[in-house]
Amino acid sequence: MPDAPVGQSKISFAGVEKVYSSASARVTSTRALEAFNLDIARAEILSIVGPTGCGKSTALNILAGFELASAGAVQVDGNVIVGPGPDRGVVFQQASLFPWMTVLSNVVLGVKCRGLPREDYEPRARRLLVEVGLKGFEGHYPYQLSGGMQQRVQIARALINEPEILLMDEPFGALDYQTRLLMQKLLLRLWEHFRPTILFITHDVGEAIFISDRVIAMTKRPGRVKREVRVQAPKPRDYEFIGSAEFTALERELVMAVQSEVEVDEVPAAH
Amino acid sequence: MGDVALQTAPKVAPSGAGDQRRERRVPDVAFSIGAVLLLLVLWYVFSHSSLIKAGYLPSPESLAETFIDLARNGYQGRPLSEHIAISLFRALAGFASGVIVGVPVGLLAGYSRRAGAMISPIMAFIRPIPPIAFIPMAVLYFGLGELGKIVLIFFVSFNYVTANAQAGAANFPIAYRRAAQSLGLTRAQTFFRIVLPGALPQIFTGLKVAMALSWAVVVAAELVGAQSGLGFMISDAALLFRIPVVYVGVALIGAIGLLLNFSLNLVEAKVVHWKGR
Ligand SMILES: Nc1ncnc2c1ncn2[C@@H]1O[C@H](COP(=O)(O)OP(=O)(O)OP(=O)(O)O)[C@@H](O)[C@H]1O
Ligand SMILES: [Mg+2]
Repeated sequence: MPDAPVGQSKISFAGVEKVYSSASARVTSTRALEAFNLDIARAEILSIVGPTGCGKSTALNILAGFELASAGAVQVDGNVIVGPGPDRGVVFQQASLFPWMTVLSNVVLGVKCRGLPREDYEPRARRLLVEVGLKGFEGHYPYQLSGGMQQRVQIARALINEPEILLMDEPFGALDYQTRLLMQKLLLRLWEHFRPTILFITHDVGEAIFISDRVIAMTKRPGRVKREVRVQAPKPRDYEFIGSAEFTALERELVMAVQSEVEVDEVPAAH
Repeated sequence: MGDVALQTAPKVAPSGAGDQRRERRVPDVAFSIGAVLLLLVLWYVFSHSSLIKAGYLPSPESLAETFIDLARNGYQGRPLSEHIAISLFRALAGFASGVIVGVPVGLLAGYSRRAGAMISPIMAFIRPIPPIAFIPMAVLYFGLGELGKIVLIFFVSFNYVTANAQAGAANFPIAYRRAAQSLGLTRAQTFFRIVLPGALPQIFTGLKVAMALSWAVVVAAELVGAQSGLGFMISDAALLFRIPVVYVGVALIGAIGLLLNFSLNLVEAKVVHWKGR
């Protein structure tokens, strides 16, 4: 893996290890990550794929500040992470919108709580909602929206802070195929506009290739970087890219990389 | 309790699933009305038959008469409305003060681990004690006046409200907590904007139990030591063998309990509009 020179990468995982120790003696502790190294450049879109339970969410949660690394360091702009913060917007897989707030209130909550004036954030929030395709839904409650619309609100909620980093853990995992493609294109369009550095986790290798500059495949637990591919096709990309030679070749390479990790487990279990 | 009827009413009966659904022409509410009518008929027949000793089971007509008489002339020198009002006042004053203190205490205990560690064991010990067991203590320390009854009901209400508010604040989804953190909310902002509204559905569960118990306990307390209120009315009437008055009193207690629960359900539907969606 080519090591980016110090000071150039936006995000850096260096020798990160994560052990979940269990309180009960009957459950052994879990080593989720081991010697995990990854550098992400400014404004890069990087996706992680890998077998289930390999530590993808763990890596993202450490970067988000939700979990502490057991060893090693995660840095943003050269600063070690101490906790969650609005500089790193997070889009969750599950509905994490607040059901008692309207769409608009959900989106503005962060900026409002940080004391920005309403004249500043409200027009921005409305523009953002137009941009994610939710014009006219400002006054709706989350339960009145479809899953895809709720994810659009989550993205708007993260983007209103104008974060330099966007963390997305299987954000489109629960959506149907057509909606997912729409959301992927929406994400690329928003990236053109805001240029955040994006860490994106998915099980869908095609999704990873379609949106990313670079895709990482992880080993099974304890997770390390196993394979790294660069996607050359220029952005913005359209659906034609999905059937292209580059896409197909990368897809095969990544599927093999992930699948071989899964099957290592399966062989002894089959006998 | 009225609770059951009100909460199951909107649901579709599970028995009507599948191909039976098409054939079900008679709505469920017809069965409810039918059952009540049947009960009334049985009551009428029994109260007029010689199976039951005269005077022990008043007939429906005599209850209606008694009710009109009570409404006109009151009971033991007080208008009926005053008996109702005094019982309601005691129950609601105790209930409300329990809510005002219980909700913040419970939320704090659920949100702050240390506060929870302090409060939980005490509450866990007190909760299983039947509220009526405290009636003699309330009389002992506060006498037979209003204060003793209100303190007693405050205590009952506080107990259940606190427990539910605590559970609501403690069990709120980690995704909410994380979302709040990464939006940059402070701990206080998280408490007021996320934890409190997030706990509201559970708080309302507590309010409903507390309301039902407040009403039950006020009647129990009035049975023992009071000169007014519906509980006093029924126990006094029973001693004087005025059985229709006892029946009317009991029916009123039931109807008011139902009404209290119903109003709380209305408030809940308005406040916790996202519940169950
Ligand atoms: N809070 C926790 N406590 C204990 N163990 C945990 C915790 N979170 C994750 N783990 C364990 O760490 C390992 C990695 O989990 P993680 O959620 O990072 O996997 P993942 O790659 O995101 O999986 P998936 O693709 O299924 O989402 C798993 O074995 C999991 O059981
Ligand atoms: Mg995960």
